[in-house]
Amino acid sequence: MANIVVCYKWVLDEQDIKVNPGNLALDTSRAKSKISDYDRNAIEEAVLLNEKDGHKVTGLTFGVAGAKQSLKDALSRGPAEAVWVNDPVAAEADAFVTANVLAGALKKVGNYDVIICGEGAADTYAQQVGPRLAAVLGIPAITFVNQMSIEGDKVVATRKLGDCTETVTASFPVVVTVLPEINKPRIPSLKQVLGASKKPVTEIKLADLGLNPDDLKRKTTVKSLKGYAMTRKNVIYKDGSTAEKVAKLVAELAKEGAL
Amino acid sequence: MAGIWVYSEDVALVKQLLTIGREVAGTLNKPVAALTLSEADAADLAAETVYVLKGQNPWPESYVQAIADLAAKEAPDVIFVGATPRGKDLAAKLASILKAGLVTEAFKVSVENGAIETERMMYGGLAVCTEILQGLSLVTIPPRQYEPAAAGKGNVVTIDAATDVPVSVSNVCPIIREGADLASAEKVICVGRGLGKEDDLKIARDLAAAVGGEVGCTRSIAEDYHWLPAETYIGLSGVKVKPVLYLSMGVSGQVQHVAGIRDSKIIVGIDMNENALIFEAADYGIVGDLYDVVPALTEAIKQAK
Ligand SMILES: Cc1cc2nc3c(=O)[nH]c(=O)nc-3n(C[C@H](O)[C@H](O)[C@H](O)COP(=O)(O)OP(=O)(O)OC[C@H]3O[C@@H](n4cnc5c(N)ncnc54)[C@H](O)[C@@H]3O)c2cc1C
Repeated sequence: MANIVVCYKWVLDEQDIKVNPGNLALDTSRAKSKISDYDRNAIEEAVLLNEKDGHKVTGLTFGVAGAKQSLKDALSRGPAEAVWVNDPVAAEADAFVTANVLAGALKKVGNYDVIICGEGAADTYAQQVGPRLAAVLGIPAITFVNQMSIEGDKVVATRKLGDCTETVTASFPVVVTVLPEINKPRIPSLKQVLGASKKPVTEIKLADLGLNPDDLKRKTTVKSLKGYAMTRKNVIYKDGSTAEKVAKLVAELAKEGAL
Repeated sequence: MAGIWVYSEDVALVKQLLTIGREVAGTLNKPVAALTLSEADAADLAAETVYVLKGQNPWPESYVQAIADLAAKEAPDVIFVGATPRGKDLAAKLASILKAGLVTEAFKVSVENGAIETERMMYGGLAVCTEILQGLSLVTIPPRQYEPAAAGKGNVVTIDAATDVPVSVSNVCPIIREGADLASAEKVICVGRGLGKEDDLKIARDLAAAVGGEVGCTRSIAEDYHWLPAETYIGLSGVKVKPVLYLSMGVSGQVQHVAGIRDSKIIVGIDMNENALIFEAADYGIVGDLYDVVPALTEAIKQAK
């Protein structure tokens, strides 16, 4: 039996974020939060491994006070317990800080054999936390994984790398980052949702991890964060018959030299 | 030797990175060094110094510690790494060992007031984040963002690299692609969930044949329906295309999909829903049922040619 820790991030749902067309400012005031999409694949994979061979699955997140809401959601997806590092630093954290904090939490919690992360977070999509975390812990990371299994005290995983696939085998402890194609996360049942509130949650304060202040300072300075300016012609043919609309489009495309 | 470093396991990408590397180095008045894993590739790289990392292991990821040791000794200002999957993996581990910042997939790198600035996408492509690099930093840069630099000649330095890693790699298989590479296609016809069934892909293939293009899809088509291989979905986590013409049918235009088509010259959307987001991202659009519009369009294009 392996101790599987699955890391997830509680992020704003980008579908609720509005861009002000004038100054391109982001309006997040009405945005709800969610477990980052690919982290749901990570949770599902941990739970599938448990269902197959019997392992212990723990969810781990580093988040601000609002991330408390994520715990029930995460636990309803199958992990036996959850650990939450609660600190406002999470709001400004980059992957350097997050990896340091998650490594600190893992050391404090103690037992970890397999750590599973999603390939990238839905907000930043920086694709760094998994491999950085492995480097901080001094253990191997297997990234871009679309298939994995646990065999004894080893992970055997298939990576998908643009032009090839390869199989990587590593002994515990090991970090694995998973691609969304690895599985299809289940929708928790009512019973699982109700059961989630009975599962144990450990809340850790950042100060208890004994990290150096430098480990908690992000590396780059954010100069601005603005909506992407769409500068397209937006000529939309709505009225008229299909033949008319098609004729207008073909004429324009011919003029553009796009045919 | 401080300066600008570029690295990729793919020499074609090293040459592209040298273009931006030289530009930044010129502005900051710094030297450029290229890192490569192959002696044969080192001869014509336009960098003052070319480090050839020579080790026993053919797995590119195993060179991370050797690169970190070299960087700790030579103290570059910035390392540009090609944003292939292997490059992103190595860059993240390297940044961690060096306790450095890392900007993933910058689409723009420039020098402002003596500091290097980067721009990258956030929230699935909805937003752009501009960052100022501080201290030793890494930036990963997507393939084909820059033209390759002209050939040059540098001082070649061979480094013996320890490449022991506690993993074993086997079964390395090329992914066989059907059809041409979408990323470099001139015309791309994209299908989304508006398509009712797999057989109807023919509608898209007929249009692709008429314009001389390739068929791509949204993630839903590849990963939920499995009608087309995962290598053909376009977007943030899929292929990024930059054709002369991108035309979609039954694609809603969610931001993560649009993030992969923004470099297209002309974007056309065909969708039943006049409020579909694709129309905000498009140059031209037709509101209508794709089953009416696309066959008519295919015919009209054949006539026009
Ligand atoms: C982190 C993350 C990364 C992602 N990465 C990607 C990515 O790389 N690529 C990607 O594609 N997606 C990605 N997605 C998913 C993305 O958000 C959307 O869910 C997906 O692109 C939607 O696919 P679609 O447009 O085919 O389907 P839908 O959103 O369901 O749209 C179908 C469209 O078809 C129209 N339609 C239906 N019938 C007809 C008809 N008869 N004629 C004309 N129109 C019709 C509808 O009006 C609708 O607009 C990602 C999501 C997340 C969270």
